[in-house]
Amino acid sequence: MTVYKLQKSALPKFLESLKKGSQVFAPVKRDVIRFEPLGNPADVDLSANSYFPLKEYFFPPKEVLFHFSKKGVSAPVKRAEKRIFFGVRRCDLAAIQRQDLVFIKQQKDPYYAKRRENSLLIGYHCNTPPSSYCFCGSMGLEDFYDLMFFDRGSHFLVHAKTAAGQSLAKNKFFNKTPRKITDKERRIRTRALKKDISQLYNNKGWKPLAKRCLSCAACTELCPTCYCYEIRDEPSIEGPYKGKRCRSWSSCQLKDFTRVAEGHVFREKREERFKHRIYHQIQYFKERNKINLCTGCGRCVAGCPARIDWVKAVNRMKK
Amino acid sequence: MKSKLVPRKVKVLDVQQEAPDISTLTLDCHSRCVPGQFVQVSLLGVGECPLSIASHSEKYMKLTVQGVGTVTKALCKLKKGDHLYIRGPYGKGYPLKKYRGSSLILVGAGCGVAALKSVIDYVESHRKDYKDVFLFFGYRYAKSIAYKKQATEWKKKFNLRIALSREKTKSCLQWDQGHVTDLLKKEKLGPEKTAAFVCGPLRMINDTVKILKKKGFADTQIYMATERLMYCGTGACCHCMIRGKLACTDGPVFRFDEIGYYGND
Ligand SMILES: Cc1cc2nc3c(=O)[nH]c(=O)nc-3n(C[C@H](O)[C@H](O)[C@H](O)COP(=O)(O)OP(=O)(O)OC[C@H]3O[C@@H](n4cnc5c(N)ncnc54)[C@H](O)[C@@H]3O)c2cc1C
Ligand code: SF4
Ligand code: SF4
Repeated sequence: MTVYKLQKSALPKFLESLKKGSQVFAPVKRDVIRFEPLGNPADVDLSANSYFPLKEYFFPPKEVLFHFSKKGVSAPVKRAEKRIFFGVRRCDLAAIQRQDLVFIKQQKDPYYAKRRENSLLIGYHCNTPPSSYCFCGSMGLEDFYDLMFFDRGSHFLVHAKTAAGQSLAKNKFFNKTPRKITDKERRIRTRALKKDISQLYNNKGWKPLAKRCLSCAACTELCPTCYCYEIRDEPSIEGPYKGKRCRSWSSCQLKDFTRVAEGHVFREKREERFKHRIYHQIQYFKERNKINLCTGCGRCVAGCPARIDWVKAVNRMKK
Repeated sequence: MKSKLVPRKVKVLDVQQEAPDISTLTLDCHSRCVPGQFVQVSLLGVGECPLSIASHSEKYMKLTVQGVGTVTKALCKLKKGDHLYIRGPYGKGYPLKKYRGSSLILVGAGCGVAALKSVIDYVESHRKDYKDVFLFFGYRYAKSIAYKKQATEWKKKFNLRIALSREKTKSCLQWDQGHVTDLLKKEKLGPEKTAAFVCGPLRMINDTVKILKKKGFADTQIYMATERLMYCGTGACCHCMIRGKLACTDGPVFRFDEIGYYGND
């Protein structure tokens, strides 16, 4: 599809124009860089990746599955709002692709699907990795976006991949250019995850990692792909028989994740839980879906209070 | 797209108390199921939990529930005419069609017997399709034996043996002292044209498999039902993941070689 050119000085005006008919979200600098509904376009901060991924916009930390009363159950009917997300990095775009696979293609989950339905994704390509923990370059990610912005100093080259992206590109700020985006330009040079862990389950290299782990679940909470959840009922104080059933994120790093009646916990040891996370990310998911779940954003290392760099540790493991 | 997580309301047609903490509910539910499959059962405001289907009929559905926690205890208090909510059936059951013409060994302990009850119901209605049927069931006490009424019938039709691990007194039903695995060990059983279906706690499953393998059974003749914490039942919430496999959709019944001896991974 077509490539366009946008002068950097025109970016605020372009973003402002997107607000007509849509809600626009972009990374802005607050306590940390985070996606927020866009106020002043001058606040957009592309200097590093957002601290939190976009996940919560499609798969919120907690949501209502249905309300119940004496009459029975009723699922909430959601209108698909038009939303545009600007400044999403390659790792986070690939993460949305993976959650689409789980929630839309495999689960046909209406709650997630509704939120994705009218959402447009505008990417921002990393010329250089914004963090030393990034390792997306070794994760074999595919392109997944409506529009992608390539930073060229004074201007952006914008590539439209989908019809929705193409129609968004029809505006007075973009100028068509005959340039192509080469594969080399799409490549991101990051550090690499080098090892296949299929034969490393009993490696002693896991022990020191698990020993430092606090089971705090920051890693799974910050992960753009983790999709585990739990379901609980919340009765209302208005009276019996009234309330809602909700689902919320849960973490395989917590003991309760596999606790069954009478208190038995399957993955009782921290090492078992730690390994489960890594194995789900770079082995189990792949066995089922041919692609890794992990997209290499590095948040689980950057956000870990113990700074457990499992990528480095796995690279060092010998059979 | 309709949500798979929203359950439907069904009526409780009958409640049968099996033991002090075990009840069998008969539901006005007409789903077509494979023995070994389960449903997600809930009481609104209390919660949801997976229960094996303990019958094989399109006229009704039976569930045998042991009150061990919040939801299961509340389910045990239900009375005839009450309502509950279910979704499902889910999961893969026992390969009964594949083993037509063979003998079957069913080994169950505790509420694991519930899942095997659906196999027994199936075999009873297809008795000619199967040769010898051995039932080995284990409980703690004589009072915790489930399906006492049916047991007399089963004794006539099949080879039923019951082991009680903590019972001291004698009762009218014949039973042996010890674990269900002790019974299995002593019994002369060969692997020729036979399949073994196992359901129960993790340790008992692993012990049973070891005994069967000693008797010459191949990994591919042994099927076991796994029990894990699960929320969705449809392969998304990931709580039931055993290595890469999901107990809810790849199981709960696995052929032994699909997951091997599993424990904490
Ligand atoms: C496929 C399958 C079939 C089952 N069949 C039967 C059956 O036929 N009869 C029977 O009595 N029990 C059966 N169980 C076990 C039953 O699901 C648990 O005893 C029940 O979930 C306990 O819930 P609770 O709310 O009463 O207990 P609590 O301990 O109060 O439960 C708290 C939470 O943990 C979950 N949980 C606790 N224990 C288990 C467990 N063992 N398995 C899964 N989730 C658990 C519950 O969903 C609940 O959300 C089965 C479990 C599975 C996975
Ligand atoms: S992981 Fe890759 S795409 Fe994500 S922020 Fe780092 S360099 Fe950019
Ligand atoms: S963030 Fe670090 S310390 Fe916390 S659970 Fe994950 S690995 Fe363990």
